Amino acid sequence: MRSLLNFLLRFKTLILFLVLEAVALVMISTSHNYHQTVFYGLSRNISGFVARRLERGTYYFRLRSVNEELVKENTLLRRRLEGLTAMPAEGFSGVHDTISGVNYTYLNARVISNSVNKQKNFITLDRGSKHGVHVGMGVASPSGVVGVVVGVSPNYSVVMSLLNTDFRLSASIARNDYFGSLAWDGINYRYAKLSEIPHHVTVSEGDTIVTSGYSAIFPAGLMAGTLTGDQNRGGDFISLEVMLSVDFKKLTDVYVIGNLTRDERETLEEEVVK
Amino acid sequence: MNSILRYTGAFVLLVVLQLLIFNNIEFSGYVNPYVYVMFILILPVSIPSWILLLLGFLTGFVIDIFTGTMGVHTFATVLAGFVRPWVLSLNVTAEVAEGDMSPSSSRSGLRWFFIYTVTVVLVHHLALFFVELFSLKHFFHTLLRVLLSTAVTTFFILLFDFIRPHR
Repeated sequence: MRSLLNFLLRFKTLILFLVLEAVALVMISTSHNYHQTVFYGLSRNISGFVARRLERGTYYFRLRSVNEELVKENTLLRRRLEGLTAMPAEGFSGVHDTISGVNYTYLNARVISNSVNKQKNFITLDRGSKHGVHVGMGVASPSGVVGVVVGVSPNYSVVMSLLNTDFRLSASIARNDYFGSLAWDGINYRYAKLSEIPHHVTVSEGDTIVTSGYSAIFPAGLMAGTLTGDQNRGGDFISLEVMLSVDFKKLTDVYVIGNLTRDERETLEEEVVK
Repeated sequence: MNSILRYTGAFVLLVVLQLLIFNNIEFSGYVNPYVYVMFILILPVSIPSWILLLLGFLTGFVIDIFTGTMGVHTFATVLAGFVRPWVLSLNVTAEVAEGDMSPSSSRSGLRWFFIYTVTVVLVHHLALFFVELFSLKHFFHTLLRVLLSTAVTTFFILLFDFIRPHR
């Protein structure tokens, strides 16, 4: 009798164990609605606050590399500016319109929490809806594509990192404009895979990979990485290994990219497809 | 009552340490120590297993909330709570078996505590890393991460066990 009781007691533990694990699995499988999780909204604000305090201390020690990166970007922008001012005026009239043709706006932000060691990495920025950040905006650093905003609170926003196995980026080879899908395979935080490139395309090591501009999130031609020369031929397409231009371990300053005409573009695209 | 307070203190301390320090440690993307498991390890020997399971669930859930990985830590920590009584009984010594004392190296020897810690931590990390991946795609790569992280976690738990106040 006693042993039977013991047995049942043990069985009770097993049942409780299975129930708890089942609850955990349900939580995992429903966590795709990442930014809709009730609790996460709360914890984002608390941990965002703490992370911001911490980041203030550690940021100081990275100033040197941050400066170097900014100088590099300045040089690049200066060069581009040179090309623009040298261009003859275009269009029908002589009116100098500085607003037409501007599609994207940029908002600088600071990374206050980041990781590279999970399968689904997220980044927290110190800008939120108060500063005009919306879900779906792109995020880039001076050296290239970083991710897409997936959650916003008044003071903070959470970005799905390129280093997230759920992230897909429409990217193209700058030299010949063939485009494919860039995604992280979850192994090494420096490399990602560009897939869906047709067989006949010739590629070579060091080719630049940029955003295609086919989604309204990123402007075309934003740097994403360079080909390492490794490739995987199989099926109808080849997949190429890409060395990411952004070193996610050194990420400090980024831009949130807003598309001014995004709504117009998406409404049009939806209308036509329907 | 006093011991409940102490264990609550240990819980808060371990969770805070995990979130503020250990979550920011990433050696080359391979090693992530999850030292908060220590809370499951140091609970009294005589604790009923259902309480152990519930506390495992609570611990994992709190970590999940703050790291935005819903369910992954919960799953692994409940499993760690489930295997703990077995690991305890597998290499039980006379000193360990009795009463509501907390398993520690000062009481049962470093060798015993090491084996106990490594086993539970390994189970926890195996579950954690593979559930996070949710596939066996990069099996050996993940296994390497598990082993390296287990080593580092174990190191820190032994260190903390060494410096924590014993009564």
